[in-house]
Parts: sequence; structure tokens; C-alpha cells
Amino acid sequence: LRVPKRYRHPALEERLSRRRTAQEARSLLRCRRAGIPAPVVYFVDYVTNSIYLEDIVDSVTVQDHIYSVQKSGDDTSSFHKLAEKMGELLARMHDEDIIHGDLTTANLLLRPPTEKLDLVLIDFGLSFISGLPEDKGVDLYVLEKAFISTHPDTEMMFQALLKSYAATSKKSGPVIKKLDEVRLRGRKRSMIG
Amino acid sequence: MERTHRLELFPDRSVTLLLFQHVKNAAALRKKAMEGSIDGALISPAMIVDPFQVLVAANKAVHLQKIGKMKTRTLYAEIIFSLSPSNNISDAFKKFGISDSDTAVLIVLIVDGDKTVNLAEIASQVEGQQVSLDELPQLTDTAKVKKMYKVTPQEEKIGSLLDSVVCRMSTKDVL
Repeated sequence: LRVPKRYRHPALEERLSRRRTAQEARSLLRCRRAGIPAPVVYFVDYVTNSIYLEDIVDSVTVQDHIYSVQKSGDDTSSFHKLAEKMGELLARMHDEDIIHGDLTTANLLLRPPTEKLDLVLIDFGLSFISGLPEDKGVDLYVLEKAFISTHPDTEMMFQALLKSYAATSKKSGPVIKKLDEVRLRGRKRSMIG
Repeated sequence: MERTHRLELFPDRSVTLLLFQHVKNAAALRKKAMEGSIDGALISPAMIVDPFQVLVAANKAVHLQKIGKMKTRTLYAEIIFSLSPSNNISDAFKKFGISDSDTAVLIVLIVDGDKTVNLAEIASQVEGQQVSLDELPQLTDTAKVKKMYKVTPQEEKIGSLLDSVVCRMSTKDVL
């Protein structure tokens, strides 16, 4: 039984403008209604632009999880399953036309117990709604770069993630294509500007 | 029997909930509430899944009152409005306020700081039996709540009904 914490953990810094706050709240609601795990919104304060969110108790970030498994020399084959689940989750998110905007392994939480691979997406501060494959491709590219820079020796992971993404998303073709294009360009910008 | 919570974000305010069953004078109570002669929010327990839902509504109402941005005219009306997923005030009252035929009533009071509440005074106006808040789940009309808040089947898989309800309540002005 997960007891909802009362109004704790303002998850948002005050420098965010009202529009960003509204966008984040909107994305969070949109995720939840589509069954995509994201924290519950308890209260939105438009005066300080803070969002009070559910506290995912005793969770670890995927980032920390990868570190600790690698550090302890544990079997990294579990990473494959984790990557698959990540790919699946992101595919579902993108199919709802939700662009996260800041995909990193620090913005993906694992609920306890970690072995269950129960993922929760957090930090939608830069999120927006878009159906464009370019935006989705960039979203994935950001994650890929984050993977490469933060987690050495995880190339297979991202591959597995993409495979799972492609298998789950109905619209993945154009997205992967755009991802390839963005990789070639080496930047995360849309040429449409 | 009744329950009182301090609002975490507004520690100078407390929220007290009283639940009554076998109520015979719902019509009279509703009239009094409309006139403003009852100092409390009269809510239909069927639409409430958990006291936390009421706290979230109360928190929002108090916040809006403090910044002078309430959409309704009184704090208690604002609580009822905050419970509703819609931005239509009269609809909120119709669905979340009590109706003449109701036999259960949830009364919500907001008190400043350490002022003592005269619960007996409120309770005496209700022709019914005060019961513990523990009885609330039995009074919840889950199907009605799901329909009202438009809870999706996918949403139910990732959280409780309370989660869905609260999320909808807190983000309604963004949509």
C-alpha cells in the first residue's frame, strides 16, 4: 500500500515560468491518463510556480542502479531486460505524443524492489506535446548521449532499448529514421529551426 | 470520530471532517448551506474516495483564498468547486454538494490555528447519526467517481483511484 504523502516535495524550482509549470502539469496528467507511470500531481502553485508531487518512496534512479550493479560486479544481463522496459515505456510515451525533453537515466526511477523493474518517469519540466518524429527522435538522441557520457560499456543497452522501442511503438519507423539523421548531424537541433 | 488535519502548506489552518449517516434533513441542510447559515462545506460522501481528496481540495481553496483568486464566493464553496474535475461551478455543486435525497453527509470545516471548533453546534443541526470517517469507503460510489473523473483503465493500472482523482483535481485549470 503506497500511502500518498501530503503535499511534500515541491519538485520544481521557482525559476520556471507559469507556462512551463502548466506544461509540466499537463504532461504529467497526460502520462497518467495513458497509463504511463509518472508522479501524481497533488497541487500546482502558480504563484511560486511549484508543483507538489507524489514522493516515490525508496526509489533509485536508473542511473544509480546502473552504477551500483556495475560497481558490485553483478551480472549485467539484467540490464538487457531493463533496457527493454525502458524502450517500451518511451515508446508508449511517444505514442501519446509526449516529448519528455530531458531524458536521462537520472530521470527514470525504479520503484522498490528494484528487481521488478517498475519504472517511473520524472522531471517533465522541459516536456511538451508533439507528434513530430523529429521531436521524438531528438528525445531519444538526448537519452543516447546521456547514456554514452554517463554509463561506459552500455552500448548494448541502448541498442536493446531502441529495439524494444521499435517493437512497441506503432509510429517508430519515422522516429528511428530521424534519430539516425540527428546522429549524423551531431547536434540536437531541428534543421527546420 | 471526526478527524482533524493541519494543512501542511498552511499550518495556521486545520481541516475537520465529520461524517453523518441516516440523515433525514438533507433538504433543509442544503438550503441552509445555500443561504450560508451553516459554517461548513456539505459534501456528498459518495463522491469521496478518501479524506486526502478533501484535504487536497481544502489546500487549493485556502491557497486561492489567500491570494484572492477564488472562483467562488466563499471558502466552503471553493472547496466543493476544487473537488470537481470541471470548471463549471454549478455543476460542481450539483455533483459534489449534497442533494435533497441524500442520507449521508460529509461536513468539512476549516479552522484558523488553535481556535476551538464548536462541533456540537454543527452536529446538532444534522438530523442523523455521526459516524467515524472509517465508514467513508463504504459510502463511496466508485463507479460514479470513475465516471465523474473520467478515470481511464490504463490509469487504474498504475495507481489507486485516489491518485487518479487527485491528479485530475489538481491539474484541471491547466487544461
